[in-house]
Amino acid sequence: MDQNNSLPPYAQGLASPQGAMTPGIPIFSPMMPYGTGLTPQPVQSTSSLSILEEQQRQQQQQQQQQQQQQQQQQQQQAAQQSTSQQATQGTSGQTPQLFHSQTLTTAPLPGTTPLYPSPMTPMTPITPATPASESSGIVPQLQNIVSTVNLGCKLDLKTIALRARNAEYNPKRFAAVIMRIREPRTTALIFSSGKMVCTGAKSEEQSRLAARKYARVVQKLGFPAKFLDFKIQNMVGSCDVKFPIRLEGLVLTHQQFSSYEPELFPGLIYRMIKPRIVLLIFVSGKVVLTGAKVRAEIYEAFENIYPILKGFRKTT
Amino acid sequence: MAYQLYRNTTLGNSLQESLDELIQGSLNTYRFCDNVWTFVLNDVEFREVTELIKVDKVKIVACDGKNTGSNTAE
Repeated sequence: MDQNNSLPPYAQGLASPQGAMTPGIPIFSPMMPYGTGLTPQPVQSTSSLSILEEQQRQQQQQQQQQQQQQQQQQQQQAAQQSTSQQATQGTSGQTPQLFHSQTLTTAPLPGTTPLYPSPMTPMTPITPATPASESSGIVPQLQNIVSTVNLGCKLDLKTIALRARNAEYNPKRFAAVIMRIREPRTTALIFSSGKMVCTGAKSEEQSRLAARKYARVVQKLGFPAKFLDFKIQNMVGSCDVKFPIRLEGLVLTHQQFSSYEPELFPGLIYRMIKPRIVLLIFVSGKVVLTGAKVRAEIYEAFENIYPILKGFRKTT
Repeated sequence: MAYQLYRNTTLGNSLQESLDELIQGSLNTYRFCDNVWTFVLNDVEFREVTELIKVDKVKIVACDGKNTGSNTAE
C-alpha cells in the first residue's frame, strides 16, 4: 500500500513527471479525459418502451465499450513506450523494468477499478505487493440479478392478473402480481403502487431488457407505464476453485469475517468488508458471492478470497 | 434493504417452476386469480387404459373445493 515509500531513491526523481501517462487509472490520464469525443451515453429514461429500441441501445453501448477499451489499450501501449525510454535513461536496475512489464500484463478487468491508486510514475508496481502471484484464472459466473423499476403510475392488479398471460395474483398471500416471461427467463413482482421487482436474469442487460418487457405488457393493458429509476439491487455469482477447503481452519484465522455452523448450514459465511460482499464457501470448493451492486464487486471479492482459500486447501 | 427484496421474492415463488414447464413445451399459459387456476396446454395426450386422445389445445379451469376440486376441460 505504501508504494511511494518503496520507491528506490533513483526513481524518486521520476515520481511526478509533467504530463506523464498513468496507465493505472485511464480516467485521470490527460489523454483520456472523462468526457471524450465518443458518443455520450443515451438518455436513461426514454419514453418509448419498445424492445427493439432497447436492444439497439444495448448493442450501441457494447460497441462503445469495445471502442473505449481499444483506445485505452492503445494509449497504454503508447504511454509505456514513452516511459520505457525514461526508465532506461534514469536507472540501471532490472527491477523497474520488471514492474514495468507487470503493468503491461495486468490489465484491469472491464468494469473494475484498480485496487490501489497508481502514483504518477510507471516505475512503481501497480499490482499489489506480491508481483509473483497471478490472478486466479477463474471468473465467477453471474447467476441472478435482482432489479427494481418504477412504472410511474398506479396499477389495478386484478385487471393485470385477469388479462395478462402467465400471471398469478393471490392478495391474501401476497399483495403483488407475479408475472413471468420466457426470454429472458425472469420473474417480476408488480405492485399496485406501480413499482416492480425483476428477478432471475443472468446479466445486467438481460435484467434491464426483461424489466422493459414487463413494462410493455403493463402498458399494452392500458396503463400509462413509464420506465423510471431502473436500478440493480443485487447480483449473485458463483464459481468453483476446484479444490477442497478446510473451513474449520478458515473460520479460526478469519473469525472476525467468518461464521461457520455446520449444524445449521454446511457453508462458511464470509462477510468481506471491501468490497462489501457476502461469500458462501463450501468444503467442495464451490463459492457463492452475493450482495454486489456491480459486476466488478463480485470479481474483486473473488480475487481477494482466492489466495486465502488456496492457503486452506485440503491436502488429504 | 436488499434482503427485504429477497424475502419478497421467495414469498412470491420466483422459482421458475412454471417456466420450466413452459420450456418443456407443454404449458402455454397459466393464470391464478380469485383462487382460480387457468391453464392452457398444447399438444396434450389424455391416456386412459383403453383409450388415447390427442388434443392440440386444452384449457383447464380449476377451483379449490372442500371435498372435490371441480375441473372443466374444454
